[in-house]
Amino acid sequence: MSIQATSVPQLSPTYRLQWEEAQNMFVLLYPEGLIELNQSSAEILQVCDGKNNVTDIVSALEKKFDTTGLENDINNFLNTALGNGWITQSA
Amino acid sequence: MAGSLKAPSPPRWLLAELTYACPLQCPYCSNPLDYANFTNELNTDEWKRVLKQSRKMGAVQLGFSGGEPLVRKDLTELVSYSHDLGYYINLITSGYNMDEAKIIELKEAGLDHIQISLQASSKELNDYIAGTESFEHKKVVAKLIKKHDYPMVLCVVLHRENIHQMKDILEMAIELDADFVELANTQYYGWAHHNRDQLMPTQEQLQEAEAIAKEYQESQAGKMKIYYVIPDYFENRPKACMNGWGTTFLTIAPDGLALPCHSARQLPNFECPSVRDNSISEIWNESTAFNYFRGDDWMKEPCRSCPEKDKDFGGCHCQAFLLTGDATNADPVCDLSPLHHLVTDAIEQAAMTAAEKPLVFRNSKNSKVF
Repeated sequence: MSIQATSVPQLSPTYRLQWEEAQNMFVLLYPEGLIELNQSSAEILQVCDGKNNVTDIVSALEKKFDTTGLENDINNFLNTALGNGWITQSA
Repeated sequence: MAGSLKAPSPPRWLLAELTYACPLQCPYCSNPLDYANFTNELNTDEWKRVLKQSRKMGAVQLGFSGGEPLVRKDLTELVSYSHDLGYYINLITSGYNMDEAKIIELKEAGLDHIQISLQASSKELNDYIAGTESFEHKKVVAKLIKKHDYPMVLCVVLHRENIHQMKDILEMAIELDADFVELANTQYYGWAHHNRDQLMPTQEQLQEAEAIAKEYQESQAGKMKIYYVIPDYFENRPKACMNGWGTTFLTIAPDGLALPCHSARQLPNFECPSVRDNSISEIWNESTAFNYFRGDDWMKEPCRSCPEKDKDFGGCHCQAFLLTGDATNADPVCDLSPLHHLVTDAIEQAAMTAAEKPLVFRNSKNSKVF
């Protein structure tokens, strides 16, 4: 199972994405666990809202950071996130 | 004795042991043997102060535990308060005496997740180990937890008496629709250490159980996450206890003692500070207890010159104390420790004497003997 350009990723209901002031970073919270996210991972997860498909996510982030060529990095991260159960995808 | 001089990382995990009271009597309980002596529980306002100060320091994962946290009348109030502070809230419970109204009430208060324990996959063994008739009731509670959309961790502590049920335990977890299963081999602290000979599995039992766990991990991938925690007595390297002392975890005991790990109150090296006398910030940053094993200044050989010292931090200090009498020794689980034979001897001793001794159950009557 891997992520497709047309699939719509969404944060899994078991996970919660939260900004942590004391640590100055986003974290992913789940039963008895905590993942500290770097900035790019946090940016991607924030737009996994169940509405944007992967193509939308790539263009939204390229626009936000005024850059191009993010597709590979984003795909890699989304595949990791999917494999870890952080996100689910629908067609 | 001070550890490293650089500012410690903030606490991320707060374990709030609300009470030592528990309707169950599991003979592997990690609470202190003499728990019955500690009766002066923190009140609601004191807990709120702890929760607020810890959150401000950076704690975000919160476990309400015990004993049995459901015994506390103010549990829902504390959950609600913690939710407003932004914690991710885990309830670590036996499920005993929980009903649907309570499950709904806690959900509305903001509880995020429930970990429920079962003692075995059969009624007879579950009720024997728990010391209380509870098997059928716990299964009903587990189903209600899922009915109300909580993520659920099913926790089963493994030992000589139940490890042969591995397959049935996993089938039960599937039937109960658990999201995560924690198959935790007994760690030998507190009551478990006292009952070690009777609880220690044999090498053959472990190999069989591990193979079954692995098989289910593969067949359940993507559906149910299975954590199989191997018993460290059978390892060659120690666990990185608490992710490093005073780096991540903060435990508050029912009487307000702040502990760098939940067994630390037994260590003679220092007095653990109380939240009744100190703020969380003072405790975390300045107390002798929390600084004692930070960094590696405290280390002796073979840890001091070991290339793996940044990986396991010398292992578990409570285990070093329990087995060698000195918490600054290397955890004897490590086969580089000159005292590693204490661990292998314990396994041999258990194999020879297990059948001769009765389990000592965890209850107030037995606790008062210690």
